[in-house]
Amino acid sequence: MFDVLIIGGGVIGSAIARELGRYRLKVGVLEKNTDVCYETSGRNTGVCHGGFAYDRGSLKAKLCVEGNRIMGEVARELDFPLKRCGKVLVGNTQEEYDRLQEVIAQGEANGATGLRMITEEELKAMIPGVKGSFAMLSENSGILDPFLMTIALAENAVHNGAEYFLEHEVTAISREDDTYVVTAGGETFRTRWVINSAGLGCGKISDMLGIKGYKLIYSKDDYIILDDRLGRDLPMPIYTVPSNTYMGIHVTPTTDGNVLLGPTAEDTDNNSWYGVEQKNLDYLYEEAMKLWPNFTRGDYIRTYCGILPKWVDDEGRIQDYKIEILDDIAPNAVNLVGMESPGLTASVAIARYVIDMMQEREKFEENPDFDPIRKGIERFSRLDEETQARLVEENPDYGELICRCQKVTKAELLQAIHNPLGVHTVTGVKYRTRAMMGRCQGGYCQMRITRMLEEELGIAPEEITYAREGSRMFFGKVREV
Amino acid sequence: MIKEFTCVVCPNGCRITAERNSENEEYKITGNACSRGLTYVRQELTGPVRTFATSVGVTGGVLPLASVRVTAPIPLSRVKEAVELIHAQTLTAPVHAGDVLLHDFMGLACDVIVTKTVEACPEEAAR
Amino acid sequence: MSEQNKNTVDVLIVGGGPAGLAAAVRLYELGIRDILVVERENEPGGILRQCIHDGFGVTRFGESLSGPEYAARFIRQVREYGIRVMTGAAVTNITPEREVTVVAREGLTVWQAKAVVLAMGCRERTRGALAIPGERPTGVFTAGVAQAYINLYNRMPAREVVILGSGDIGMIMARRLTLEGAHVKAVYEVQPYPSGLPRNIQQCLNDFDIPLYLSHTVTQIHGDRCLEGVTVSQVDERMSPIAGTEEYISCDTLILSVGLIPENELSLDAGVQLDPRTRGAYVDEHLQTSVPGIFAAGNVLRVHDLVDFVSMEAEALADAVHKYLAAGDLPEGKVKLTAGAGVHHTVPQWAEGKEPFTVSLRVVRPMDNVWVCAKQGGHIVGQKKMKKALPAEMIQLKVNPLTGTEDVEVYVQ
Repeated sequence: MFDVLIIGGGVIGSAIARELGRYRLKVGVLEKNTDVCYETSGRNTGVCHGGFAYDRGSLKAKLCVEGNRIMGEVARELDFPLKRCGKVLVGNTQEEYDRLQEVIAQGEANGATGLRMITEEELKAMIPGVKGSFAMLSENSGILDPFLMTIALAENAVHNGAEYFLEHEVTAISREDDTYVVTAGGETFRTRWVINSAGLGCGKISDMLGIKGYKLIYSKDDYIILDDRLGRDLPMPIYTVPSNTYMGIHVTPTTDGNVLLGPTAEDTDNNSWYGVEQKNLDYLYEEAMKLWPNFTRGDYIRTYCGILPKWVDDEGRIQDYKIEILDDIAPNAVNLVGMESPGLTASVAIARYVIDMMQEREKFEENPDFDPIRKGIERFSRLDEETQARLVEENPDYGELICRCQKVTKAELLQAIHNPLGVHTVTGVKYRTRAMMGRCQGGYCQMRITRMLEEELGIAPEEITYAREGSRMFFGKVREV
Repeated sequence: MIKEFTCVVCPNGCRITAERNSENEEYKITGNACSRGLTYVRQELTGPVRTFATSVGVTGGVLPLASVRVTAPIPLSRVKEAVELIHAQTLTAPVHAGDVLLHDFMGLACDVIVTKTVEACPEEAAR
Repeated sequence: MSEQNKNTVDVLIVGGGPAGLAAAVRLYELGIRDILVVERENEPGGILRQCIHDGFGVTRFGESLSGPEYAARFIRQVREYGIRVMTGAAVTNITPEREVTVVAREGLTVWQAKAVVLAMGCRERTRGALAIPGERPTGVFTAGVAQAYINLYNRMPAREVVILGSGDIGMIMARRLTLEGAHVKAVYEVQPYPSGLPRNIQQCLNDFDIPLYLSHTVTQIHGDRCLEGVTVSQVDERMSPIAGTEEYISCDTLILSVGLIPENELSLDAGVQLDPRTRGAYVDEHLQTSVPGIFAAGNVLRVHDLVDFVSMEAEALADAVHKYLAAGDLPEGKVKLTAGAGVHHTVPQWAEGKEPFTVSLRVVRPMDNVWVCAKQGGHIVGQKKMKKALPAEMIQLKVNPLTGTEDVEVYVQ
């Protein structure tokens, strides 16, 4: 019997699980995928937003500003990369100038700080090669690693007692007396509280809870990833002038120095097709060139696609976040609907908001043993040579570079393979270490990594899973000996 | 009748033409840069031959496979059969490059030789 | 790293593949004894370890060898001479002052070298670099990765196969996969001519009735977990897909053989300037890069057609390094070589020109009955007639000693 079952182990579900660790509660997380960031949480731009781009007084604005404010502390506690590098919104016309003034006013009303207009000279001094006649600077915006943030939250939740159930897709929810009976991955779970943080699946879970009628659309975002040499010349994200519902295409550095071009933002009713389209790749190239023409197609290393769930009204207008407990329809169930951008930035603030709502109905006992600290895998490539030399001396596995372009050592890979969540996929290793994320895309290291997975986990070649359930890599051996 | 060939004897890949007017005539061969090209095309016209390489499984080695090749060309029509015979073999480490896996292979006046040394695995040897 | 922990060496060679090994052997034979080869794998040989097919060495050794046998020839020499090879060791940094950081299980070491030889080889272009639309299922491999899985790791990644690109490794994998029982449905090439060697088209494709479609490319990848199929389209003369020509081909494996890129990340860290055409270093006829004392040969300099030429280039490099060590420096190449009509690139791109030297080049498209010429200020300084010139093949052109510093134009007519 669980006190709280969280449906969906994305960044919001994992933030809730982590924050619930502050109380004496038995917490479980049901995740349908093989890892925690295979959907919206891992497929985005990785920006820590300032909170100026959302309607005055909205939950999105409030929780984004709060999430941004606490992000530094959260990143320190959980040891994931965050760079408060600022970001610019560039414009060229009088109309855009006026719009940016409105954005600043809206941002200030939302409680965002560090917003100001800068001249073309200031802009170009900050970002070599950027195109634009003026810009709005948001000093408190930044970039973070969305994979490591989600993984860090989940690992810290597990450290404080939460249980993760991977590959457990929820198929039914019923209520018996005062408990929910949740069927997931063929197993039955009983819980006093249930939280719908299913992201793209929020509508389905909401229906299972008996809360019907939410209309959702999905916004599909295609991206291009550029080589990590290019990030050296891009100190901060470059955005165009946004509307309150679309941020426009942007050029964004990642915490690892890659550059992202995207997103495209197309409405779709399919929430599981992650195919990147040629027309979008062409569009991204054209649009990004208008902002930052410092790249060529030869710098592409990968493409990807993310999908955001958006709650819309009957006219198709995008709505605010819906975070609710409907005591008469589904008591002790927290229903989160339309958790799109800025969900990554806002996640921990959302978690605290959710727990406050729960505590209005039930006072939870504090957990004096809660440990907010999580240590990530030390990145060999980021250390100075003195420290690297010492590490190799202490543990020769640090002397074995398996992924050359990202300089990932065997020691790091072993830690990733034996991760606290028990994730056993190839991409699980990838997101935790950056192995295979460089310009050769695993051309040099993937054979070694799949062999390590086989050896460390004691599994057959046919059992190696790339990412999603069933994504096998091998048919077997060439010769049985 | 004209037949065209790309010579595979060496990397030059000469385009060689063989031409004759009737069944009884000898082919007139042109385009070859050397006499090996001539021999190659004559062979292609009568019965093409090829060398090939594959691997065999190795037990107790530091590597799971040893690569092998035939030492002389065999009829192309028999390559598939030859590969199957070789794949049915297994070796025990250590094996050395140059070791003969199969003598007078299929009666075709060639050997199958190992092309990569695979040392015995230290742990296996200790067992 | 403090000074006392620094080691010194005359020549440090980055990479123990065909280029690095050949350079080491020749340097030793020229009397250089203080040589260190740094190899990231546990054994030297580089990519040849997985190239088990034969056909190597016809030019260099006069016989047809498999990749491992070809490498073994050099490895045997290296061992006989007692040349030091650090295996399982990765170079993580090279400075313009030729200070080289090496990481291995035995520890992190820093080496001050009098000369550094770049011999890191190349990497394959990937699906991501091509930005092929669609999802990201498993079953999409570069040819070299599939080759490593099958020939080194004993792992079978394929049953029903489509190959994109008619590069040599792709065609060799078509044959290899067929011999291993996979069904190779077809090879598609975006260009109107094949990009690999004619002999491979014959003995890897034609021999096994594998069709090669020119002016075709893969325009969509299907499958959300494992590859289920690809869409193939014809392309026009600008290599843009032609609407209405799409065809769906079911397959579980897509092998990419769409080009190799010299692996120059370390070179860039060392301040070496790269030629955007070759994606390797700008060098003079001594194979010295823009950074004095740093030399490059083999596929790191530009992608070769045959390993024999890699070894021979590395041997020429050793001669230059020998001279450099004896004299303390080499005269700067002041004459620029430019790629003129019909020529994609030249190596070297600069020349001192005191002695005769060889330029190697590639043409931009297949051509018959042409003259390949080098001209300096109206004077022909080198020319040769060719019955056919293919982009798949490197062309060597002898150039006479140069006078003055005027550019040399290399062109085809």
